[in-house]
Amino acid sequence: MKQRIKKRHIFLLLTAVLLGLLIALQAKTFTNIGDVLNRNGRSDIFREIQVLKTTNDNLSDEVKSLEKQLEKLSNNQDALASVEDEILKYQSLSGDKEVTGPGINLTIEGQINSIWLIDIVNELLAAGSEAISVNGIRLVDSTIGFDTIPNGQILLNSVIINSPYKIEAIGERDVLEMAISQPNGILERMEKSLENVSFEVQEKDLLEMDAVR
Amino acid sequence: MENVEKKSADLKLGAIFVITGVLIGLLLTMQFKSSIPASTFVSDEIEAQKEIVDSFLADQSLLKNKIVGLRETIAEKQDEAKIYVEENNLEKLKQLKNVIGLESMRGPGVLISLDDGPFIDRSNAERISQSLINASDLRDVVNLLRAADAEAISINDQRIIATTPITSVGNTILVNNFHLLPPFDISAIGEAELILQRLDEEGTLTDLKKRANELKINMDIEIKDGLMVPAYNGNLSTKYLSKSNE
Repeated sequence: MKQRIKKRHIFLLLTAVLLGLLIALQAKTFTNIGDVLNRNGRSDIFREIQVLKTTNDNLSDEVKSLEKQLEKLSNNQDALASVEDEILKYQSLSGDKEVTGPGINLTIEGQINSIWLIDIVNELLAAGSEAISVNGIRLVDSTIGFDTIPNGQILLNSVIINSPYKIEAIGERDVLEMAISQPNGILERMEKSLENVSFEVQEKDLLEMDAVR
Repeated sequence: MENVEKKSADLKLGAIFVITGVLIGLLLTMQFKSSIPASTFVSDEIEAQKEIVDSFLADQSLLKNKIVGLRETIAEKQDEAKIYVEENNLEKLKQLKNVIGLESMRGPGVLISLDDGPFIDRSNAERISQSLINASDLRDVVNLLRAADAEAISINDQRIIATTPITSVGNTILVNNFHLLPPFDISAIGEAELILQRLDEEGTLTDLKKRANELKINMDIEIKDGLMVPAYNGNLSTKYLSKSNE
């Protein structure tokens, strides 16, 4: 009888040790997985790589077009045309010239803070917008930034802008639309945190933006 | 009597073994199941991801250097071609480059340094820590500087142009889609008095100023005589823009 109890004790001890080991191992793998998901969740690293890839593709394109431009400069006749092309391109970017193109039109109705406009514009830029205007004011290097006057109205380029806010962006329509309308994207967040605000997104074949000066 | 007792004790022992056996079995399966995407793979995966990101970043630096070099060579060639190209046009081109940020700029202004709190590790921090500088903080500062009519702005070595996005992926901040690490030095060439006045106003950068006052983050503002803002070194895409020819 005494001997059997001892045996049982040993068995129990052994199984308990095994159990302990397994539990410890188990807990460890769980924290490892948790670490990865919290710190740089898959969607994040995936997005990061996606952003990097697109950026590098764009930079490669730029290198190619600059190389072409350089080639043209060795020929006098082409040089003339190439300088004129470059001037035209920069004038469209600086707002010296009127621009047109496909894109989206976002209309927001309701009282919002200028921070929302800053963030929406930023999302559209991150999605590759080539030109953006807010209530008809083109955002270029010389545009004076968003401001709020004491009564809460928003100022852009020293002009008061009121609801409905109309944001136009020229670029790849689907990409721009997706960027702001995706789940947990900027529009969904705005809808959840603000009351009495409505919005509408339209894809447009042709948007026109006036010259700044 | 003793026999019956012995039998029931045996049964009990058997039951204990069965239960522990089942438990071990269960744990073993769980163990194997959960170790498929984890354990040894976790560190490998992070390593692999880091390698991919690093190689993209290396390519990016290379491409950006190439772009800067090409733009310089093109400008030189254009200068040499003065005889054929109207001087007027070359002057116009230079002026435009200045406006859109393709030329570096030197001048007086304000340097704003923003840094994470002293006891925070960016790579391990919770996403919404009050002690981290976020992309939205940088956006707000840039907008304020634009509202204060700054002539040229850069964050670390990235020139801010009209189409610069300032975003984040996890805790990584991207300016012009380029990775930036703290501290963030925001240089703004412009009227220092006006910029300081706007920074001092009660309604501006309220959240950032509050966190700085509570010593959660670091914010330094300095007036500088000779600030250098580099030229933009990214791509200028006009794939979707049709320029009207007057």
